[in-house]
Amino acid sequence: MVRNKKIKVLLSKVGLDGHDRGVKVIASLLKEAGMEVIYLGMYQTEQNIVKAAIDEDVDVIGVSYLSGEHLVFTPKIVEEMKKNDLDDVLLIAGGTFPPEDIPAMEKMGIDKVFRAGSLTEPIADYIKNNIKKGKE
Amino acid sequence: MDQVNQKKQVETLEGSWEDYIKAYYEKPASFKSWSGYDLKEIYTPRDRSAEEYEKDIADAGTYPFTRGIHANMFRGRLWTKREVVGIGSPADTHERLEYLAHQGGSGLNTIADVTYEMGLDADHPRAVDEVGLTGVNITSIRDMETLTRDIPLDKVSWSVITASTAASVSMAQYVAVAKDRGYDPAVLRGSIQNDPIHFRYCGFRPACPLDLSIKLGSDVMEFCTKKMPKWYYTTVNMYDLREQGITAPQEVAFGFGIAMCYIDELIRRGLDIDEFAPRFTFYVSCHIDIFEEVAKIRAARRMWARLMKEKYGARDPRSMQFRFAVHTAGCSLIPQQPLNNIVRISYEALAAVLGGVQSLHCCSYDEPMCLPTEKGHLQALRTQQILAYETGVTNVVDPLGGSYYVESLTDKMEEESLKIMKQVEDIGGMEDAIRTEWLDAQFESEAVKRQKELDSGEKLVVGVNVFTTEQEKSTPLGVQRVSSASAKQQVQEVRELKRTRNMNKLKIAIARLRDDAGERKNVIPAMIEATKAFGTTGELLGTVREVFGYPYDPMEILESPFQ
Repeated sequence: MVRNKKIKVLLSKVGLDGHDRGVKVIASLLKEAGMEVIYLGMYQTEQNIVKAAIDEDVDVIGVSYLSGEHLVFTPKIVEEMKKNDLDDVLLIAGGTFPPEDIPAMEKMGIDKVFRAGSLTEPIADYIKNNIKKGKE
Repeated sequence: MDQVNQKKQVETLEGSWEDYIKAYYEKPASFKSWSGYDLKEIYTPRDRSAEEYEKDIADAGTYPFTRGIHANMFRGRLWTKREVVGIGSPADTHERLEYLAHQGGSGLNTIADVTYEMGLDADHPRAVDEVGLTGVNITSIRDMETLTRDIPLDKVSWSVITASTAASVSMAQYVAVAKDRGYDPAVLRGSIQNDPIHFRYCGFRPACPLDLSIKLGSDVMEFCTKKMPKWYYTTVNMYDLREQGITAPQEVAFGFGIAMCYIDELIRRGLDIDEFAPRFTFYVSCHIDIFEEVAKIRAARRMWARLMKEKYGARDPRSMQFRFAVHTAGCSLIPQQPLNNIVRISYEALAAVLGGVQSLHCCSYDEPMCLPTEKGHLQALRTQQILAYETGVTNVVDPLGGSYYVESLTDKMEEESLKIMKQVEDIGGMEDAIRTEWLDAQFESEAVKRQKELDSGEKLVVGVNVFTTEQEKSTPLGVQRVSSASAKQQVQEVRELKRTRNMNKLKIAIARLRDDAGERKNVIPAMIEATKAFGTTGELLGTVREVFGYPYDPMEILESPFQ
């Protein structure tokens, strides 16, 4: 089916990590790619993120990790999403992490991981091709 | 893994033979500097501005110091080879420090983690998950004792990278430990980053309100000026600003703007420019465009000398010398084909040395994946040592000086930086540029431009938008992990300390700190006493924050236990 509504993306930092250059750039460029983007800002908890995702009825949650906190917070976010039945929301992550951790992050429940050095187009294309809401 | 060139394993040629043949005739795609300035095919004497050698360039060690702050530069002393260390607990960090010192490092350099920079104790509910992940958390004087154990503090040069308002506490903790061990603060050598203003742009805004940043940053500067003559009390961090995605001239202009906020405050406090300016230092980025970075550094030296002499009336030549450490550009490194980062770092370090650096941190190749591994750290140190001992670049002062191109580019960097400084002045100065979020807007728009340059291919980065390969499955020299056991242990120790310390003594010390802050006195002496009474980072900073009308806890969860 064809969706006529804009794809809605929630981007967020989590924990205390303050490296937000990348996530803000992605917010800006996904908007240019035609999506509606909400950037939640820094110091968020898994509860804040999931609550905002519900309130805003988003298609995608994107989290940015650059301080080695990806293995700590990913299970918490996934758990909180499950608790709130957000299984039709795409979860993506971006930032710096060892390639060794990517399979673990995917196993924990992240749909797709983008490392530093990613270009915008593959990220936008991945989102467009993989959103779960509105697809049967 | 052994490599055998059996046919099926050789897959280096992507695409067709036609691409391969075209590659032979390839020309560079662009003739712009990294910061976007058009460059000519060749520079000649006709491109030189009407500069006079003695007035605008001059020999190294002579005003305006364009060619270097010392007459003989590296012949007198090599730069300090200083690799940043901060990993897990104070004990874990101490171990890595010792390792690098024994491999020929010449300066110690420790970095605070996010929890410490935010001013949170290790046992803070928002800190417990993240203690030690990106550096070291010092909650109490005991942690500082562990970090510095057995190290001769009067002989080594220690760079303490705490940048936020927590730098005031770091300085107090370092001095308190040194005093306990019998050292007069006057003998301590090293530096503290202490640049809270810039740190609001690095994710620490709750810990770095502007007025408190100027107050506490200047308290450290004033205290060190009076008590620690061998200590460099700030390294204004132009590097972190550059990491936001801005250009080379913006780096200099914004860095100088922030530096002037502190200088103006110290002068308001009645200090003479020549009393404190000789210990003012900077942290500079070296990005991948070698000539532009050298030109930027040379321009910064000339600009700083003139600023100090002409605007601030400095008379002591040492006040006019732009002293700086270089951190090679972390944002130039990528996780794709990570060994290539070693090459990038080498070029950036070369630029730093050609620019006449005083102290150098080479990034580790693995930084886009994890904290530096021991092997990564060692390789970074070896990069410095190869430069220092093999290449011969240390033989001659300012080897690019007099190049038609580099002198012309130096002029260009100066001209562009001055333009931006004028723009900031027209807004009403750096404090207003910060308050009105003009500066935030600059960072954000520049960062988007940098990504668009990659997306469009206007700038090429091997492994990102050219010569890409499949995603790596592993990190070549292994992955650095932070021990969750030592983080947990540190949290336990902090809880234990808080349970067992003498609360009466601490309350008296905290009351004095509150009074001194209230009377707008320099709070460092009271912080030293409070830290000796086992007051913690969060408690000391929280007490001062409350006096200035901010929540005790930057995360607004905890209340002060000293009401």
